[in-house]
Amino acid sequence: MTGWVLIVDDEEMIRENLKAYLEDEGLGVVAFESATHALFWLQAGVSCPVCIMDMRLPDMDGNTAIRALHELYPEMKFLIHTGSSSYSLPEDLRTMGLDDSRVYRKPLEDMGPLAAAVRALADPQEARL
Amino acid sequence: MPISRVLPSRKRPALSRRRFGSNELLAAALGALAATASAASDWLGEPLGSGGAGGKINYTVLVLIPVILLASVALFWCWLQRQEAVRRTRQLQRELNERQRVETALRESEARFRDVTEAASDWIWEMDENLRFTYLSERFEALTGIGTQSVLGLTRWELAGADASIDPQKWRKHREVLETRAPFRDFIYQTQLIGDWQNGRYLKVSGKPIHDEQGRFRGYRGTGTDITEQAKAEAALYQSELRLRRIIDLVPHMIFARDRHGRFLLANRATAAAYGSTVEALVDRSHPPGHGVPEEVEQRLADDRAVLENWESRLIPEEVFTDHTGRVCTLQTIKIPFNESGMSESAVLSVAIDITEQKRAKEDVARMRLYLKNIIDSMPSVLVGVDPWGYITVLNQPAEQAGGVSWAAAQGRFFGEVFPQLQSQFEQVRQAIRDGHPIKTPRMTLEVDGELHYADVMVYPLMADNVSGAVIRMDDVTARVRIESMMVQTEKMLSVGGLAAGMAHEINNPLGAILQGSQNILRRIGPELAQNRAAADAVGVDLNQLNRYLQERGILRLLEGIREAGVRAAKIVADMLSFSRRSEAQAQFALVEVEDLLETVLRLAASDYDLKKKYDFKRIRIERAYDPALRLVYCDKTEIEQVILNLLKNAAQAMAEENTPSPSILLRTAREADYAVLEVVDNGPGMEDKTLKRIFEPFFTTKDVGVGTGLGLSVSYFIVTEQHNGRLSVTSKPGQGACFSLRLPLAREKLS
Repeated sequence: MTGWVLIVDDEEMIRENLKAYLEDEGLGVVAFESATHALFWLQAGVSCPVCIMDMRLPDMDGNTAIRALHELYPEMKFLIHTGSSSYSLPEDLRTMGLDDSRVYRKPLEDMGPLAAAVRALADPQEARL
Repeated sequence: MPISRVLPSRKRPALSRRRFGSNELLAAALGALAATASAASDWLGEPLGSGGAGGKINYTVLVLIPVILLASVALFWCWLQRQEAVRRTRQLQRELNERQRVETALRESEARFRDVTEAASDWIWEMDENLRFTYLSERFEALTGIGTQSVLGLTRWELAGADASIDPQKWRKHREVLETRAPFRDFIYQTQLIGDWQNGRYLKVSGKPIHDEQGRFRGYRGTGTDITEQAKAEAALYQSELRLRRIIDLVPHMIFARDRHGRFLLANRATAAAYGSTVEALVDRSHPPGHGVPEEVEQRLADDRAVLENWESRLIPEEVFTDHTGRVCTLQTIKIPFNESGMSESAVLSVAIDITEQKRAKEDVARMRLYLKNIIDSMPSVLVGVDPWGYITVLNQPAEQAGGVSWAAAQGRFFGEVFPQLQSQFEQVRQAIRDGHPIKTPRMTLEVDGELHYADVMVYPLMADNVSGAVIRMDDVTARVRIESMMVQTEKMLSVGGLAAGMAHEINNPLGAILQGSQNILRRIGPELAQNRAAADAVGVDLNQLNRYLQERGILRLLEGIREAGVRAAKIVADMLSFSRRSEAQAQFALVEVEDLLETVLRLAASDYDLKKKYDFKRIRIERAYDPALRLVYCDKTEIEQVILNLLKNAAQAMAEENTPSPSILLRTAREADYAVLEVVDNGPGMEDKTLKRIFEPFFTTKDVGVGTGLGLSVSYFIVTEQHNGRLSVTSKPGQGACFSLRLPLAREKLS
């Protein structure tokens, strides 16, 4: 698999735990506490096929961040990881190919399914195999 | 002697004159005869006997012849005279006898007349040619009480001034009659003496004119009779009849008498009016009988005849009568047989009262009573009417059911005896009647079939026709109390939901950290991961040894504990969140196959991780009783699945905890009028009333700490009642299992 898995979450322990788990799965992971930091880092031109996005962020909400990232990097796939009980996927995000299966509710008892989803999105061929 | 005045006396002088004449002649003849006889006897020397005619002719023939001749002549004359005298005497005698006879007859006649006059109720009167009273017999005064002296010399009209002024016509005619000297009969008038206005007498007089031999008018003579009493009686009778007639005509009821042929003998005005006729026309017997509708006439005739045959009065309580306008009314008739004096035939006197209105009113009252009874019976409240002493007067149907007695059986019994649960209300009954205000006793607790029930009791004072009493109204509000407590619970749930929604994000993040951290820790201390081994080598730690150590110290178990606690906390938060209201748009409502849904849940239950851990679901016998009439139900499939799963888990857990032998769960469906019913029935330990009442309360649990969140059933309750507008109820008794009934509205419109 090539490229980084991008994690944007303002909760440090969530960030760290996801990063740790995915790294243990052999994935390259970068994690930022805000969308702004992530965008800044992406300007360096790194390859980043998958992003795990929190919804409540200090600078903007997750939906807006996804729209912005999608604008800049149309190839990027998104997984949503939210603590909000009332979150529902906006319609425009669905047109970007997102669906309810991409939404993960906090707290995650088991990070295994999320990791599998990341793998599948990052490398479709590999996932299919 | 009054008769002498009455009878003519002028014949008497004529009679005595004739008698006097014949006596004179007889005396003269006798005288002459006597003288002759004495002369002759002197001469012949022998007395002349009676009838001595054969004397001595020879001697004194010559002398004697003339004498004899003379004597003979004289004798002949005498004889003649004598014959004449005898004849005259005889005639006289005859006349005398005749006269005596006449006189006797006259006397007899007079006596008879006198007797008659004295005995008669009439009196004799006479008036002179100037029409003034000259004579009035004694009876007059005796009969009228009017002194004869005050009348004599007056004319009749002078005696009747008032009457004359009242009816001058009558008097004018009468005077005309008198002036033409014609006889008259039965002239009636009222006499009234001056100064006597009270005792006017009614007199009836008849009279004939009197004429003397020369045919001259001498006045009037006649009889009179006092008819005052009769007139008064007649007038009174007339008045009384008139009054009676007026009375029966005034009576608004029909009064009539009919003979056996149905002909009217008597009818009052009301009767005539009912027949559209007049009284006169109705009682006119020349008219054919039978007025009105033939069947009615027939019936009436039959009734009349029955009365006549049995000679018994009869009351006909209701009789249909169609009057002349066609109005059908109901009469109540009493029929009395009677024989009127002077009437050969018996008749039936009827008095008929029109009771149409009363009947209608009575029917209205009966109808209204039935209507009211239906109303009070239709009321769900128990209604007990009591008198001031607490004795039952009225019960409605629910009261009959509640007391287990019929109204008839309960009437007159003390209400506390029939309704022991209400006995405590006696004081309220008395107070309500005394003060005239209703008294409420809300939420009175009472026991019905060993169950605690709540009742609102109200005692209304009653005042009707000065008869006081009260109505005790009892409403079983147990269901409402339960619903209210459910609503309180729902409110609690909603506030829990609101709270959860607000804090979910804040709690989920730390929970995520705990759970994810636990997972990472456990993963990173095991020897399985290559990264772990590399790191361990780098620091010179043997992972296998480390694991043994961690196990030895129970650290792995502690870590697992942290993870489980996190899972439980996450579950609580998730359950709490389901209390928040969601719109229908958010919920996934659709028509769902009930059987599919239940079977899905059974599969889920069998594979539920928690279930497997706590007990073996496969040990529980599952029975199914699906109503073929119920196929589809409109609901949010996932939510209802969650509810049913919850109920199944609940039942399984309860049975496992109590080690119920041969545990079984019955899944039953039924179709009610408005609801689809889904039931989960277990044969587990059941529940006490105390538990039942709180079973849907959030955070209420009977399970061991850590087994349940205490939210499962309240979440189910919330889903059913709030999101589906349905009902979730439970019935259970200790040791007798439990039955959870889930009702979902069949009509989609009913969903709010």
